[in-house]
Amino acid sequence: MSSRALRQPFSLRLTSNIFLVLWCLVAAFPIFWITVMSFKSPVDAFESNALNVIFGPATLATGNGLSLLDIILGVAMIWATASLVTKRLPSMVRSYSKPGQEWFGWVIGVLAALVGFLLVFLVILPAILNVLNPIFGPLGRDVLGLTTEHYKTVWIDRGFSNNFKNSLIVTVGVVTVSLTVGTLAGYGLARSGSALAFWILIVALVFRALPHSVLVAGYLPVFINSTEWLRPILGENAPTLYGKPFAVIAVLVAINQPFTIWMLRSFFQNIPAELDEAARVDGCNHFQAFRRVIMPVMWPGVITTGLFSFLLAYNDFLVTSLLLDAQNQTMVPAIVGMFNRETTTTDQVVAVAAAVSITAPLIFLVLIFQRQIVSGLTAGAVKG
Amino acid sequence: MNFRTFAAFVGPSVLMMLLFIAFPLISVFKQSFYITQPIYETVEVETCTPGFLTQTCVTEDVSQPKLDEHGEIITQTQYVGLQSYRNVLEPERTWRAISEGSLNVLSTINFWKALRFTLTFTLITLPLVVGCGLGIAVLINNAARTIRGPVIFVSLLPFIITPVIGVLSINWLFRGDGILTAMLEWWLNRDIALFAQAWTIEVLMMLYRVWHVAPFAAIVFYAGLQTVNQDSLESAVIDGATRWQRMKYIVIPHLMPLIIFVSMIHLMDSYRVFEEIVGFSSQGYVISLQWLTYDFLVPDQAGNRSVSRASASAMLTMIGIVILLILPLRRTWRDHKGGH
Amino acid sequence: MKLKTILMAGAMSLATSTAWAACSFENEVPLKSLSAGFEAWKAVTDAMAECGNFSASLDQEFREKQPEAFAADPALYQIGGVSNATLVPLLNAGTIRPLDDLVEKHGQNLLPNQLIKVDGKTMAVAMMVNAQHLMYRDDVLAELGIEEPKTYDDVLAAAAKIKEAGVMDYPIGGTFKTGWNLGQEFVNMYMGEGGAFFGGGNMPAINNDQGVKALETLKAMTEYMDPEYLVSDSTYVQQQFQQGKIAMANLWASRAAAMNDEAESQVVGKVTMAAAPMGSAVPATTIWWDGIVLASNMSDEEADAAFRVALEGMDADTVGANNDVAVWLSTAYTPGDLAAGAAASAEGGAKAYPASGPMGIMHTALGNGLADYLTGAKDAPTTLADIEADYITAAKEAGLISN
Repeated sequence: MSSRALRQPFSLRLTSNIFLVLWCLVAAFPIFWITVMSFKSPVDAFESNALNVIFGPATLATGNGLSLLDIILGVAMIWATASLVTKRLPSMVRSYSKPGQEWFGWVIGVLAALVGFLLVFLVILPAILNVLNPIFGPLGRDVLGLTTEHYKTVWIDRGFSNNFKNSLIVTVGVVTVSLTVGTLAGYGLARSGSALAFWILIVALVFRALPHSVLVAGYLPVFINSTEWLRPILGENAPTLYGKPFAVIAVLVAINQPFTIWMLRSFFQNIPAELDEAARVDGCNHFQAFRRVIMPVMWPGVITTGLFSFLLAYNDFLVTSLLLDAQNQTMVPAIVGMFNRETTTTDQVVAVAAAVSITAPLIFLVLIFQRQIVSGLTAGAVKG
Repeated sequence: MNFRTFAAFVGPSVLMMLLFIAFPLISVFKQSFYITQPIYETVEVETCTPGFLTQTCVTEDVSQPKLDEHGEIITQTQYVGLQSYRNVLEPERTWRAISEGSLNVLSTINFWKALRFTLTFTLITLPLVVGCGLGIAVLINNAARTIRGPVIFVSLLPFIITPVIGVLSINWLFRGDGILTAMLEWWLNRDIALFAQAWTIEVLMMLYRVWHVAPFAAIVFYAGLQTVNQDSLESAVIDGATRWQRMKYIVIPHLMPLIIFVSMIHLMDSYRVFEEIVGFSSQGYVISLQWLTYDFLVPDQAGNRSVSRASASAMLTMIGIVILLILPLRRTWRDHKGGH
Repeated sequence: MKLKTILMAGAMSLATSTAWAACSFENEVPLKSLSAGFEAWKAVTDAMAECGNFSASLDQEFREKQPEAFAADPALYQIGGVSNATLVPLLNAGTIRPLDDLVEKHGQNLLPNQLIKVDGKTMAVAMMVNAQHLMYRDDVLAELGIEEPKTYDDVLAAAAKIKEAGVMDYPIGGTFKTGWNLGQEFVNMYMGEGGAFFGGGNMPAINNDQGVKALETLKAMTEYMDPEYLVSDSTYVQQQFQQGKIAMANLWASRAAAMNDEAESQVVGKVTMAAAPMGSAVPATTIWWDGIVLASNMSDEEADAAFRVALEGMDADTVGANNDVAVWLSTAYTPGDLAAGAAASAEGGAKAYPASGPMGIMHTALGNGLADYLTGAKDAPTTLADIEADYITAAKEAGLISN
């Protein structure tokens, strides 16, 4: 609100900002809290006294902790990395990568920064601190109980990286297929005024509203016995669909289609039809017009829609838990499994650590795409 | 656009939806009128199970399904009309409860219990989500430009977090002596058990849902706020309109399509509330329609599942959602016709 | 996490995939198993994996997947982990094979007790038994001069005393979570009263004095339980025990070891394992077993290999290394104090869980229907009548009761 006439009195701004801070606290607290829990011994993590959970006396008693010095240096290190990445990285990427291939430069840049950070933070810094802590006396004494052993259990002993890989396969598959299929359909629906288009949209909306458990339970027997009913079509190589990531990708794409085509249709409706009509006057058919005129301007809407597909695939539990077996299990069912089996309290904290691990990529994703989401929505990906 | 081009564009998407949504749905519809069951015979069987030192063997009559020559269970499928719907709706008991005027009895019949909660949940969270979303959007829009980025980021966290994990974290914070319950107890100086009666669980579920969805509404509304016509706002100020009037006569009408969009998405999502029931393990107190269907479908330990009743309850759920959606859809029809 | 440990772990995983350290033979047939995911299964399947070419699915949805996956031809899993209840659907569908010839060939080390026989044919090999039994805080009861509770009246009296003395607000813990857990509690009580679940023709028969008595005992216990009892499962009760919040609970034998886990428990060495409290007839508990089955839809060579791998999984090495994880059925098992409760319950005459098709439906109906009584929405006879009605609807749909 740049205009002077719209400037707000100080008291209003203050109240507004106080409420905003309150909201941010409410929004972030549960996530902050499970992160804290994941670094504590089981006794501390489920303690009812909040201070004990934060300071972790039982964790400290087992010899795992951070001294003031650790904390100061660690925070400094994180801050330094953050400022380095935000200030220096963009210019470095721009100077080293060829024009038009900047995204590749970004991938390399971010990866390098990540690896460098992990190396210094997890290997070099602890080594230095081991030497420094005894020298600094009281500053070097452990005050905050903290242990990374649950993360070690999750990622090394439990082979969670395998689940991570499977999640990645399923998610990337769903996003790509869903956007490809959905963009075409969304464009077609936006440019057609026929009653058929309308009814497709309405039926899609009803599909969107369906309870998933109804559909999913029906898939299991069909998927398990697929060799039998596919044999007449595909011969001896007929696959068992159960436990195959591509089958799950297909199911998730289908479940996600209604929302995708609705989003993209509204978005394409906001791109003036004159644009592609002009291209068609120049002799392009619909597909060429789509490729030459629409594709260059559709990315904000597609990225926003893609993010929703990503969330659906990444967070799905119902479909993946039922249609995949242990060898290609994704992360969410794996975590739920950790709770449902006959667990101990330690298992639960390990599951908390896994839960935090699975949230981290989501946070990165939002950090990267935040601006595109807002601009995509602003550009009209949602108009009801 | 002629039909063939249209079909080429829309085809793949429609095909996937047909294959994975429409066909299963049709078979669900069919199953709700039929019952498929194995043919059982009673045989005397001796079963030996381990004790601590020796085995215990019992001989008893057991119902066993008959197998055909391929070793597969012989099943028979039979048309039962609306029997499965009757089994779900329990009309006799319902009627008795209504004629006696005892709502307590009505609320122990599963379907009505589930419907009651699902509707309450949907209709209470709807205005809350829209209201909170709008509030947060306005707050963010009011904030200094430099802090908007981080604030939007933090606001989005509840929305992106995996629902299963979101529910569990709320569970840890409140269940038993979870730290937030402990804080409440300390503050109010009395013993609190949030999971010990229906209404507190319902309130928790609704709060969780609002926490989870309001960021989505907020970010959509915030995007909408960026396109409010600044000129008309300024002329409204010159005309002496108060803040509230500007909000009411310029901003809200501008956001109306978005409000309808968010409401529709939320209606659909909250009508199939499920994760909260499982995550808070609230089956003893409240259940939802999707949970009811799910419970019929999940096989018990001996492998029995009530497919017909599940299909019937799924169909009833679907009728409900269509009724809820009719109003917003009438507008879409007008838009669709007007847009071309 | 240090870089070195990551590298080490990588090297370790390489090493395990090439060497079969603890397995007596090298398995060359690709095998898969599907079972529940609790600690004992993890130990057993880890040991099976040492033979090579084996992958295990410890799946929380195994109940749903097992019947379908075993019915497929060829079966998707060769080895299945079952309990006495989950054996029923496989047995009914005839998708598991008799093991007698294999037992004769390879099963010299098996106890006769382990062979699950149905109509004279060995259909499964049990590896462990499990039962709920009384665990109590030795120190708390001793301080107040309370004897070891033998019946539920004793338990309730002890709870009253503990509460009166102000030691604990809620002395009793219970796995009363709505659904399977709560159903299981009723089954325990009702069996303890000597009740029978079914009359002729699979008709339900629980609406009787024993049923009402079982319900009343359950309700009386809830007076001394944390008011959130309808959401508390065994992990939660175990945690309450570990945190010293409860003094008595009828908890699974497989949970006993957790009480003495230094890393989690604040009551190490203070919990005594005793027999399940007596009902009017027998101890109010049921005995369960877990074991392995082999699919019918595979070749005999595969079955041979699968059986050898499975036996390798539950051999003396596994049992020796995981002695306290479960009450094992094995010559190598040394029952310690932790198994005393399960053993005493069995000696007292506790019955096996009466697994069958109708019982599966009954258990579900009980689990869903009992909460209304405990919350006070219905009285005992109405609750039982409604559960019976619910059972009849479901049993008719399943074809177990003729219309």
